[in-house]
Amino acid sequence: MTDADPPALHCRGIRVTYGEVTALADLEIAFARGAIHAVVGQNGAGKTTFARVAAGLVRPDAGSLAIDGHALRLGRVAGARAAGVELVHQSFALPPSFTVAEALEFGAGAGIGVYSRRRLLQRCRERLAALDLDVDPRRRIRDLPVEVQQGVEIARALVTDARLLILDEPTAVLPPAGIEALFERIRRLKRHGVTVILILHKLREVMAVADTISVLRGGRLVAGPVPCDQADERRIAELIVGQSAAGSVSADDARALVGAAPVRGAAARDTSASAALDSHESVLELADVSTAKDPEEPPLDRVSLLVRPGEIVGVAGVQGNGQRTLVQAIAGLAGITGGDIHLGGTRVSRLSPVSRRALGLRVIPFERNSEGLSLTSALWENWSVRELLQKPLFSFVDPSALRLRCDEALRTWGVRYASATQNAGALSGGNAQKVILAREIDEDARLIVAAQPARGLDIGATAFVWSALREAAGRGCGVLLISSDLDELFDISHRLVVMLSGRVVAEFVPPYDIGAVGRAMTGASM
Amino acid sequence: MSGISIRAGAVVRTLAFIVVALALCGIVFELAGYSALLMLESVVEGAFLRTGGWAQSLRWALPLFITATGVAISFRCGFFNIGAQGQFYVGAICAAFVADVLGGAPAALVLPMTFLAGMAGGALWALWPGYLRLRSGTDEVITTLMGNFIAALALVYVTSGPLKDPSGTGQQAASPLLPAVYRISDSQGISPAIIGIAAAVALAMWVLVNRTPFGMLASLAGRNPTMVRFQGARLWTLGLSSFLISGGLAGLAGTIELLGPTGRIASGFLPGHGFTAVLIALVANLSVLATAVVSMFFGGLASAALYLPILAGLPAAAIDIFNASVALFITAKSGLLDRLLRAARLPT
Amino acid sequence: MTEFHEFMVAILRSGTPLVYVTMAGVIAQRAGVWHLGLEGVMIVGACATILGIVLTGSFAAAIVIACVLCVAASVLLWFVIEKLGANPIIAGLGLTGLGIGGTALAVQALFGSLAAVTAPFGVPRLGAAFGPYGALSIFVLMMPFVVWGMWVLLCRTRFGLRLAAAGEHPLAARSVGTDPARVRLIALAAGGVLCAIGGAELAAGGLTIFAQNMTAGRGFMSFAAVIFGAGHPIAAAFAAMFFSLVGVAGIRLQLLFGASIPHDVLLSLPYLATILGVWISGRMRGGAKAATEASELRDY
Repeated sequence: MTDADPPALHCRGIRVTYGEVTALADLEIAFARGAIHAVVGQNGAGKTTFARVAAGLVRPDAGSLAIDGHALRLGRVAGARAAGVELVHQSFALPPSFTVAEALEFGAGAGIGVYSRRRLLQRCRERLAALDLDVDPRRRIRDLPVEVQQGVEIARALVTDARLLILDEPTAVLPPAGIEALFERIRRLKRHGVTVILILHKLREVMAVADTISVLRGGRLVAGPVPCDQADERRIAELIVGQSAAGSVSADDARALVGAAPVRGAAARDTSASAALDSHESVLELADVSTAKDPEEPPLDRVSLLVRPGEIVGVAGVQGNGQRTLVQAIAGLAGITGGDIHLGGTRVSRLSPVSRRALGLRVIPFERNSEGLSLTSALWENWSVRELLQKPLFSFVDPSALRLRCDEALRTWGVRYASATQNAGALSGGNAQKVILAREIDEDARLIVAAQPARGLDIGATAFVWSALREAAGRGCGVLLISSDLDELFDISHRLVVMLSGRVVAEFVPPYDIGAVGRAMTGASM
Repeated sequence: MSGISIRAGAVVRTLAFIVVALALCGIVFELAGYSALLMLESVVEGAFLRTGGWAQSLRWALPLFITATGVAISFRCGFFNIGAQGQFYVGAICAAFVADVLGGAPAALVLPMTFLAGMAGGALWALWPGYLRLRSGTDEVITTLMGNFIAALALVYVTSGPLKDPSGTGQQAASPLLPAVYRISDSQGISPAIIGIAAAVALAMWVLVNRTPFGMLASLAGRNPTMVRFQGARLWTLGLSSFLISGGLAGLAGTIELLGPTGRIASGFLPGHGFTAVLIALVANLSVLATAVVSMFFGGLASAALYLPILAGLPAAAIDIFNASVALFITAKSGLLDRLLRAARLPT
Repeated sequence: MTEFHEFMVAILRSGTPLVYVTMAGVIAQRAGVWHLGLEGVMIVGACATILGIVLTGSFAAAIVIACVLCVAASVLLWFVIEKLGANPIIAGLGLTGLGIGGTALAVQALFGSLAAVTAPFGVPRLGAAFGPYGALSIFVLMMPFVVWGMWVLLCRTRFGLRLAAAGEHPLAARSVGTDPARVRLIALAAGGVLCAIGGAELAAGGLTIFAQNMTAGRGFMSFAAVIFGAGHPIAAAFAAMFFSLVGVAGIRLQLLFGASIPHDVLLSLPYLATILGVWISGRMRGGAKAATEASELRDY
């Protein structure tokens, strides 16, 4: 590479604002051709916006983009694709009802494009074979495991001979072994001359695959691109976290937050009331619980699980291995066909969700914006649902009293908001999650089921959620933490179980071995 | 931004869309060769300015208000019960049957039974779409719409069959006029009884919506059913109750028409009642108090519709067109309009 | 045998308008629009065809006028839904009301009364070469080809895939450079033409008459056929034909049983069949679970 080579992608002064939020502030960055570039930063640093600007999905307010030295029309996907830029989204963008063949075809060109089924399948098989992807082109996207979906989406991006491939957080959904396979695929693309930009947020993944690293924070480039072999991991971690959040986070948490070398979890064991952990008391006990078949998620298959007071039990596993069913079964939303569930010694298998909540069950659900909050409803309404449900449907309530108590709770939890009557949709992700915490972590909570509680949150908010869960455990609550982020699980769980195809297949205690947990997640022999 | 100014914004938005709808209608009328201005004048005169105009507007507004608060409940809960017309008809049919069967008995017995039958009939006609929706996920927009057509046919059948007025010779099939002892108003349609019923409905619904867990949870469920389900609410109970209340109120309105101003049931009577009630609920943004105000407006239009042919030589369909244009625009969110409003706002 | 032919003619005559309008619904549905304005656009097509024939004396001119007006109405709906962000269900019902009221007003304005308008001739007929089916209009013959063409377009072309992507996963469509709003505009405009043909066939395919409110829920039935057929053109076309079969069979039943079954009960059979149809399709698609889905449609 000589200095005369124009960069594969050159951003000059890119600025994107959403309302009053500045997502990118005069971003200046250039990536050389033929290498694997990593862009890191915490959630909210502007990584995804950057990727979408480059792919033409977001039109910046100011700035310019050049591909191989040629200026690109901004905010035009067609233009970006014609220049060879393709983006693979974090939460895949393939219509779930499409077959693999259709998913590869729909973006393959403009015009009407009549095809016959046979020729389409043949073409698709060739493309898949060329990428060494083993999947039946007649299967529907929604029936595929996440790593295959991702493979198909990458194949979709490559049908038009992309020369610059941007992958937005491709590792977030993958088990360790899947991540290695993805990296191998990316290295092969590089050998074929494709420039790859990886949006990542775990440093050890960056170090494993990338040639250069760049750090975004608050919509600005704070470092890079620098060659990875010259980068100082500690320094990069500091740059990601920034000054403001750095002080409040413990060393282990900080490592878990930026995904440096994995936390072994030894610290977690002695942080909280370890005396309680040896007791025989339980806040949650699942004994051989099975659930009915469900088209969307594997049913539970004789799951046994124990959570003791003051204990944080982590549930690891690749997305879609029954974690949702587990949460629903505990919450009383999925009918169980066998086994028993006990909450604090009371058998609840046949109890309604409301009675289970009356026994101290609290749930922080997977989807903050759909299962957790109604974004188009006022904060006080969102906050008071749990209480409203404990009353008879046709009884008298005083909304102004609820509003006052909501105000009090939200202030205690440090939610930044203007008024209890504002809609939940107006809050940032971190604040919205705090509203859920304020609702679900109260004095009467005995068991907190926390599903991906820190997903999409920036470092400060993530640390806040973790400390909230630890405090709750410290008060004697049981916590069941479901997460696909092993760093998170390792850092705060006292104990860890692994789910695979609706079964609990392994249990670990600190110090955790990432290799062993990873193997358990994919069902490889131990 | 405080809650007050959000609400003010919503009012401005609603008014703006009504103006847009009016303008659209004006254009249509001008194109069709009618004078839009004359139409506007005669609507205002027909509804409010002429002697007894207010009373006549109120006569149409009260049943509309009752049906509309019911529609608002089901919409609040997230169910598009478009079937108010059918529920109104079935309620009136059931009430008419009971009044017919009990004919001759003292009014103190007949009236309560008739009201009960009317509300039960309306609720029944909302029950099955609600049941199908909640049990099998059957789209309630289609089922309630089809229910309207079936109820209209049932009304034709009943008024030309079992309840046919033997003395009736007109083109429209109708049941016999009820004796005056069973009527709660004369054909002018305004009486303390009807006003009292409407006031009671208003109070009950306001409390239900704003001061009970049911009302608050139903509204939340309407905006995000997944969230309240995760909190453990039974959508089945919330949904079915709101369907039943909604249908029951439409049936009540049907009964009031039977016992009050109309005095009988007739095939195809008050054809636009249900659709107008849906509109009122939407224009009022599903709030009970706003529904009362908006009902008065649409009641005025309904009353003016009768005078349009006389005053402006316009067909009564003109009001339907206006109502439809309002429906077309009323749920519009912002976008263009917000930008226009923002542009028009003076710098502070 | 003549009995059978008569039966078939009746089914084709009542089913063809439904099928055309159903195709309009299918293409809209696939592009992500719940098209409850079908009824309104259809009646505009019916009215414009009859009035067009009466005023211009030419069928070709009339159908062109009908197409233009129906496309305009569809584009209005698109604008309100897409650009103003209105709820498609309510806006669609509004458009339906506008169509029904507007056509009544147009008749009143032109003829001074709301009586039915009769045209001297209608859609060109197939002619004697088709034997007992000769009295049917050319649109009936065209219908299978239109359905087949729609199937090819939606299920066997890249355009169809992009259209479906725009409806199912707008971000996916945007990621390949397709603007979902534009795709919906195309879908609704194409649907306008289909509704114009459906309306023309309804008003001028058999009798040549336009009466107030003459669609009588056929547009909504077509919409139900789209749901019943799960958005697949051929399945939806069969669903539409099924609804009209029930209607025709009802009338036949009355001939058989005479007055022992009330006329109005038989008239309500197609509506009942429609309810049955959406109920079955609801059950097939997850039953009660679906009760919580599609909530974004409701959250207006």
